[in-house]
Amino acid sequence: MKKLLNVRNVVVGNEEIKILREISFEVNEKEIVSIVGESGCGKSMTLKTIIKLLPKNLEILSGEIYFDGIEIVKYDAMEKIRGKEIGMIFQEPSSYLNPLFTIGNQVEEAIKEKIEKKEKKERVIKILKEMGLSSNVYYQYPHQLSGGMQQRAMIAMSLINNPKLLLADEPTTALDLTTAFGIIDLLKNLVTKYNLSIIFVTHDISLAKYISDKILVMYAGIIVEKGPSNLVYTNPLHPYTQKLINCLPEKYKKGERIKTIEGQVPSLKDLPEGCPFSPRCEYKKKICENYIPGEIKIEERNVRCFKYGNFMES
Amino acid sequence: MRRYILNRLFQFIPLLIGMTFISFLIIQISPGDYFTQLKMNPEISPETIENMRKLFGLDRPVIIQYFYWLKNIFTFNLGESFSYHVPVSFLIKVRLKNTIALSIFSILLTWIISIPLGIYGAIKDKSFNERVLSFFAYIGISLPSFFIAMLVIFFISKTAILPLGGTTSIFYENASGFEKFIDYLKHLLVPGIILTLSGIGSLYRLMKNNFLEALNSPYIFTACAKGIPTYKIYFKHALRNAINPMITIFGYELSGILSGAGLVEIITGWPGMGRLVLEGVLSFDLYLVMASLLIGGILLIFGNLLADILLALVDPRVRLR
Amino acid sequence: MKKTLQRLRKRNYISYISFWIIVFLYFLAILADFIAPYPFNKQFRDYPLCPPTKIHFFDHNKKFHLRPFVYEVKLVNPALNQYEIVKERICPVYFFVKGEKKKILGIFPSTRNLFGTKEGKIFLFGTDMHGRDIFSRILYGARISLSIGIIGVSISFFLGFLIGGISGYFGGKIDNILMRLVEIFMMFPAFYLMLALRAVFPLNLSSFQIYLLIVIILSLIGWAGLARIIRGMVLSIKEEEYVLAAKSLGLSSFRIIFKHIIPNTFSYSITAITLSIPGYILGESTLSLLGLGIQEPYPSWGNMLSVCIGNLRVLSNAPWMLIPGLFIFLTIICFNFLGDGLRDVFDPKNW
Repeated sequence: MKKLLNVRNVVVGNEEIKILREISFEVNEKEIVSIVGESGCGKSMTLKTIIKLLPKNLEILSGEIYFDGIEIVKYDAMEKIRGKEIGMIFQEPSSYLNPLFTIGNQVEEAIKEKIEKKEKKERVIKILKEMGLSSNVYYQYPHQLSGGMQQRAMIAMSLINNPKLLLADEPTTALDLTTAFGIIDLLKNLVTKYNLSIIFVTHDISLAKYISDKILVMYAGIIVEKGPSNLVYTNPLHPYTQKLINCLPEKYKKGERIKTIEGQVPSLKDLPEGCPFSPRCEYKKKICENYIPGEIKIEERNVRCFKYGNFMES
Repeated sequence: MRRYILNRLFQFIPLLIGMTFISFLIIQISPGDYFTQLKMNPEISPETIENMRKLFGLDRPVIIQYFYWLKNIFTFNLGESFSYHVPVSFLIKVRLKNTIALSIFSILLTWIISIPLGIYGAIKDKSFNERVLSFFAYIGISLPSFFIAMLVIFFISKTAILPLGGTTSIFYENASGFEKFIDYLKHLLVPGIILTLSGIGSLYRLMKNNFLEALNSPYIFTACAKGIPTYKIYFKHALRNAINPMITIFGYELSGILSGAGLVEIITGWPGMGRLVLEGVLSFDLYLVMASLLIGGILLIFGNLLADILLALVDPRVRLR
Repeated sequence: MKKTLQRLRKRNYISYISFWIIVFLYFLAILADFIAPYPFNKQFRDYPLCPPTKIHFFDHNKKFHLRPFVYEVKLVNPALNQYEIVKERICPVYFFVKGEKKKILGIFPSTRNLFGTKEGKIFLFGTDMHGRDIFSRILYGARISLSIGIIGVSISFFLGFLIGGISGYFGGKIDNILMRLVEIFMMFPAFYLMLALRAVFPLNLSSFQIYLLIVIILSLIGWAGLARIIRGMVLSIKEEEYVLAAKSLGLSSFRIIFKHIIPNTFSYSITAITLSIPGYILGESTLSLLGLGIQEPYPSWGNMLSVCIGNLRVLSNAPWMLIPGLFIFLTIICFNFLGDGLRDVFDPKNW
């Protein structure tokens, strides 16, 4: 398998706060990678870092990102890559589509090749059909479509240039369940059809297991655990992942009370000095409060926790 | 689309009726009427007055009188001016032309200047240039239009670069058509510039905020992620979205312009509606004042209607409801 | 109040300063009798259109005087209103000098003024055509111009609260009818409506009657906008849980409106009030400027400017006649800054 994206030790933030801390992961060709975590843990920021569309007050402080052989962090012609090589879809298609232009217009505008207007239109209608929409949608405005249709139009827009990577930022969260599964299956099919890799951001770890080959679990700007979906789901190593999976409704026995993870996600402004999860962690030791654990490879997985390795005794 | 416009038209009917009714009420509560003035004129016999009273329906109950008055208004018979002894409609026609010319001129100028400035301010938000622009906008908003007028007149009295007062120069009668137009325009310039100066500030701020809001919208992020060129992001995606609320504002702006124009007309000696109304108030020429009020209101209603139709034309969310 | 000011100071320093400028202006207006060196109607016939008096520390021999002084001036060309300094006549400026008899705040009789000269005249902002001191007239005029804003906005706000509150709370037909009424009032161009309402009343009224009339006219014009704002607020608050809770407890509508809804509109109302005061000040100045408001000899910032209309000679030779306009501008910009700052501070997003 060929590596498509390689993110190495990326730190994002400004003088005051660090949003992402030493993020490293890889995405292979035709692979779906999920990023899982609570809101505010830096999932969406990771996507925005890859496409280099960070908010004005944030920047990439250090690290490298290799995409298809190009180092992106120092690359200054991102317009050539955005839309062409990397597409992106979002949580709320209704607000991410411009309300004043037809779907046709907005999809067409994304086409990078210099081809004739007629040809462009044919291509747009073709891809709309592949996404399961009628050709009529070409002439319609976003507000005339349902949420699911909007998301399909959004996917059409991001795939019109046959990109190698699709960044999906919680694309199904705002949709109802049946519509959401339609979109999920569509995305799964696209991988083989378009030779596509997908980074799929979600807060739902069972959904991540269903759709993806690999899962990254994030907490407060750190990837605490990464590995093949099945392994992460069935045998989580990091205490946070364990609690996350224990809280899932399908794990409950009849009559059992709802479980939650005690405590709260720390605000990025006053993170604990050591492991960010330590205040909520039941295995907490002294070392956890003072140092951030490094990555440890166990089986096919990488985990950042002092529980593993031989740190706990000290 | 057609249904939408018809709908708006129907909504304006109660507005129009209310407006005429309030104008009528104001005439009613004022002490004395048209005939108190006529009675003082010894040349007119009491019988004539009584006949006229019947003719205008002034011996009927108030509600009936209102309908008489309404009927007269719709036939553009707004009564006779006490002081000029000509029909009010005649007076207004001449002056209205000048006011409309002035308003259109200053609206155009204001928009042409403040829209690009607003876009610039939004793109360069928080830069030094933007802060300077916003500072001046603030001053512009807080300066009363009459004070701006006085400052401009003061400046012109020192430099004498532009004519002041009236609509035409002495040579107007003998000038050719084009020269006449230029002469009129020159006279229009002083009140026009004053009105523009007093309007730019608020419009700049509105445009800047709208554009900024559009720039921070998710769909702009989409456009960036699509990798389309920056100019297209600004002038296709952001501009169209920022302009839409401005069109609604245009309807209200019209009210401000008309009000502002009235005062500036008086100070600069531009013979428009404002001057006419003031003269009417000073000479207790009630019918003249009320007719002007009504015309101003009706102009505004149509301005708003125009804005609504324009909005429907450019916004599919309104059009395709 | 104190907390709000502290937050204002931290978040938006300009509006904090604006607040104190406004306080200072009202202070000047209240103590006008004491601070103004001359009564507002005192005419110095020998000094028409006299330019502002300069205050010196050095005389023409470059000699330093600890006590500031002014030169006496003399009208040399009555046709052009040219004045000349009499170099020999140095008139020191004293604090708490004796002036005319008056009652400060209408209660305390006094003959002292804050400052003045024993001989010669001190016209900080020059004089008008009748030789009246513009500085003193501005202070007295502030009483009218500044008080009309507050009184006018209070009446409008009362009306706005009543109508907007009822409209928003009851909704339905009442809301529909009241809002159409509001729309009608907002549709009239304010300037024309103001003149039309003024036209209904005779021109020659006593100054107190005119003052009342202006307040009434301005409130009649201003209530509509405020009613709409308040209706919007009430509509959004009505949906909040605590109002629903009050309703489910079976409290009367009256109680819900006055105990639960109105107090919650407080911070927003303060902002709206601050931002609408300039409109009233402008309205008063406009009417007075056109000779339809406060009448001579009583000063208001508006009617002090009315000489400047259509009187190019005065305007170009005596630009200090425009100073009242600067005061109007200063007041308005301060209220605007303060209003913006308050909106900032009260915005829950910024907490």
